[in-house]
Amino acid sequence: MLKLIQNEWMKLWSKKGTWVMTGLLAVFIVGMFGLTKWIETKKDSSEQDWKVSVQEELAYTKEQLAMPTLATNERKRLEGNEKVYEHQLANSIEPLDSNSRERMIMDSAGIGSVVVLLVVIVAAGIVASEFSQGTIKMLLSRPVKRWKILTSKYVTVILFGVVLMLVGFGVSIISAYVIFQSGSGQELVWNGKEVVEVSVWGRGLYILLLSFANVFVTATFAFMIGSVFRSSSMAIGLSLFSYFMGNTVVMLLSKYEVVKYIVFTHMDLTMYESNFRIVEDITMPFSLAVLAVYLIMFLLISYTTFMKRDITA
Amino acid sequence: MGNKPVVELKNLSKTIGKKKIVDNLNLALYPGQITGFLGPNGAGKTTTIRMMVGLMEPSSGDVIIDGISLADDFEGGLSKVGVIVENPEMYKYMSGYKNLVHFARMHEAVTKERIDEVVHQVGMQNRIHEKVSTYSLGMRQRLGLAQALLHRPKFLILDEPTNGLDPAGIREFRMHLRDIAEKEGVSVFVSSHMLSEIELMCDRIAVIQNGKLIDIREMSGMQESHYYIEALPRDATEALLKEEGFTAESHQNGFIINAEKEQIPALIQQFTLQKQQIFAVQPYRKTLEDEFLEMTGGGQIAEAHTK
Repeated sequence: MLKLIQNEWMKLWSKKGTWVMTGLLAVFIVGMFGLTKWIETKKDSSEQDWKVSVQEELAYTKEQLAMPTLATNERKRLEGNEKVYEHQLANSIEPLDSNSRERMIMDSAGIGSVVVLLVVIVAAGIVASEFSQGTIKMLLSRPVKRWKILTSKYVTVILFGVVLMLVGFGVSIISAYVIFQSGSGQELVWNGKEVVEVSVWGRGLYILLLSFANVFVTATFAFMIGSVFRSSSMAIGLSLFSYFMGNTVVMLLSKYEVVKYIVFTHMDLTMYESNFRIVEDITMPFSLAVLAVYLIMFLLISYTTFMKRDITA
Repeated sequence: MGNKPVVELKNLSKTIGKKKIVDNLNLALYPGQITGFLGPNGAGKTTTIRMMVGLMEPSSGDVIIDGISLADDFEGGLSKVGVIVENPEMYKYMSGYKNLVHFARMHEAVTKERIDEVVHQVGMQNRIHEKVSTYSLGMRQRLGLAQALLHRPKFLILDEPTNGLDPAGIREFRMHLRDIAEKEGVSVFVSSHMLSEIELMCDRIAVIQNGKLIDIREMSGMQESHYYIEALPRDATEALLKEEGFTAESHQNGFIINAEKEQIPALIQQFTLQKQQIFAVQPYRKTLEDEFLEMTGGGQIAEAHTK
């Protein structure tokens, strides 16, 4: 099996397109950082005192907490925020500057959304291209069972996703150090018992991991379409379409119970950290369970069609 | 030929929809022998071959390779087989060498040395590290042969192997095959509709039509000597030939008879005695094409869909 994965990995990186994609990812991240910096320099620096803005936030949070209709999750979150604001004012700890090096490293969710686009292209093509090039005949007339070949391809896609995420994270760390100054403040969080400082690296990696769920599911979907319909353009089209339309569908259905069981509702796990959720009463374990069910379904479809297919091309 | 067969097809059938593409095919292939697989377009050649290499699942029946049934042990059976299915499509964006490494990894125990050996065997050592997209068709065919030989198969299947090769290429390819069959005792199975090719290459031919095997014969049987005789008047000629005990088969303006060289002078004397006008007496070689058209009834496209 290792040899098969080695094969797929070799084929993947023998294509120029793979290198171009990886390059694009780096360029995109550096570009985004540069743009952020440029916008910052254009803004006039007549900044408000941080204490005033934290006080405003605190007042607003209290106001919200006073509402009786608040959901339990939401109440917990706001209470945590309240504790953090109070701690900041009491100990006069400045919150972390939004354009600081630390902040840029922590906000790693953007990497995932670029990586999705690139991984989908590979996932869609890895089976379909064997058919379109005619090499599938050479590949499947070997003393290797088909499920092994498909597994090696799937593992390669996921591995490629992981590598791109790490490359993206690496590039963003480097450009954060080159472009941005270290911020003077601290990022604080309520851990249930006390207010603690957030570890920049830990937080960055955690967000990266959460956004990888999206890459994982979308890539698996593209992989399924690619291996069922043997057309990579169709797989890329459908996957990106559903990726972009996902939120709209969730919005439309948000009033109904069924929305909780739609894959799109759960694809962006970073929602549990960014505190903006379209559907309120779902939890992380529930999301993971729903995603797992969809993943298994996608893979089941890919495997059954791939293993039964007669190669006539 | 007293050997054990390397490959046996047992009641192999493939039905797609209601169409029987391959119908109850039984065939045995022996080591060191090159067997040609002939049939008009649409007769089921490619389908049969694809069932033998695991690209298609037989509807019923089995393929047994070196005693191992493909249905029971796919990996064990196929590890003895080398395949070139139509044009060997390679990964064009990689070098020939990387392609070979790729396929070598899919077999057990193919060493680096073996790869180099095969590269030399097909004479590709000078260009093997260049990208496949820069290769000519002939070189791609050689690379295709190389990948099929990597794991020292006991059985080599070739589907239309000489498609698109120039005459020199075809000749070279033929030599390679002969070599492999004779020196390594490999059983070779070649499908083609290029009859002259098969004639030159094979020891034995199997003919398929409408999914059924209609004939298997040794090529040595083709060497029987025939003569073409043209003499007037025609009726008297025919009568005379019958009298002498030949079966006369009408061909163009004369007849073809089955005769040994030694019988010919006596026959000519007979003709002159009877004052017949002799225009031609010449050795006649029945080509495979003639036989093939005879067997398949004109060789029109198989009427599989009417069955």
